[in-house]
Amino acid sequence: MKIFVSGGCKNGKSTFAQKEAESIFKREKEAGRADTLYYLATMDPVDGEDRARIQRHIEERKGKGYVTEEQPRDICHVADVRGVFLLDSVTALLSNEMFGRDGSFNIEAAEKVKDDLLRFGSQVAGVVYVSDYIYGDGTDGLDLSREYMKGLAGIDRALAAGCEKVFEVTYGNVVTFK
Amino acid sequence: MILVYGGAWQGKLDWVKKEYGIRDDEVFRCSDKEMPDLSAKVIYGIEEFLKREQDSEEFFRENLECLRDKIIVCRDISQGLVPVEPEERQWRERTGRTMIFLAGKADKVFRIFCGLSQEIK
Repeated sequence: MKIFVSGGCKNGKSTFAQKEAESIFKREKEAGRADTLYYLATMDPVDGEDRARIQRHIEERKGKGYVTEEQPRDICHVADVRGVFLLDSVTALLSNEMFGRDGSFNIEAAEKVKDDLLRFGSQVAGVVYVSDYIYGDGTDGLDLSREYMKGLAGIDRALAAGCEKVFEVTYGNVVTFK
Repeated sequence: MILVYGGAWQGKLDWVKKEYGIRDDEVFRCSDKEMPDLSAKVIYGIEEFLKREQDSEEFFRENLECLRDKIIVCRDISQGLVPVEPEERQWRERTGRTMIFLAGKADKVFRIFCGLSQEIK
């Protein structure tokens, strides 16, 4: 089972996605197809603030049975055919691949991340992809942020097409697209 | 009239083409340089046309009868920060007013999200 969740910032996506991941895991485990529930953290911490946030999120998930994998790039390395994954987030993965710490920019990042995510989905027992809906304003964006938005939109559309269920979370409410 | 809107790069036109069997040559792509061609089946990107200050908003009200059998596609530009430039603020408001008008008159309204549709009306 593959699920795609998107929506605006601070709308309750992660909380919803977490519940979905836990319910997929319960079903898959009962059916004998899965034995581990993973949280795939994609943030690439650059400073103490990021590390503190990561620690806070780890605390929040404590006791819910998640094994945390930190993989800011090349996620297929941690794919597990008997694992159900909460992948948070598609947005961070693209950003890690597209914008290097040295200021470099990789124009091919979006295609690579899209391939990785689709391949990852085929190598696991279940996955909930969390992305961010960042297409709500009228700006055409600066060149690089425009490339990023366009790239993320391509990834979102491919994942939405490939997932069995697609949801938008809007201020705690859930719109079912599929 | 069918009104379709959604954020940038969400696949609005792809969805319209597939859903209604539309060919490329049946789509008029709007710009601020000319009036939309009312012989086209699909009038795409009306937000671009609405960059015209003078006559764009009136166009939709004056040509409502001709628009009744059209599919109109608009990029949703309403959900970001208030633009810094006054022209952009006016453009956003003009687009919003026009969308409320068109959505009120439309037989059906769809929002496109990641290539998928949500029936609004």
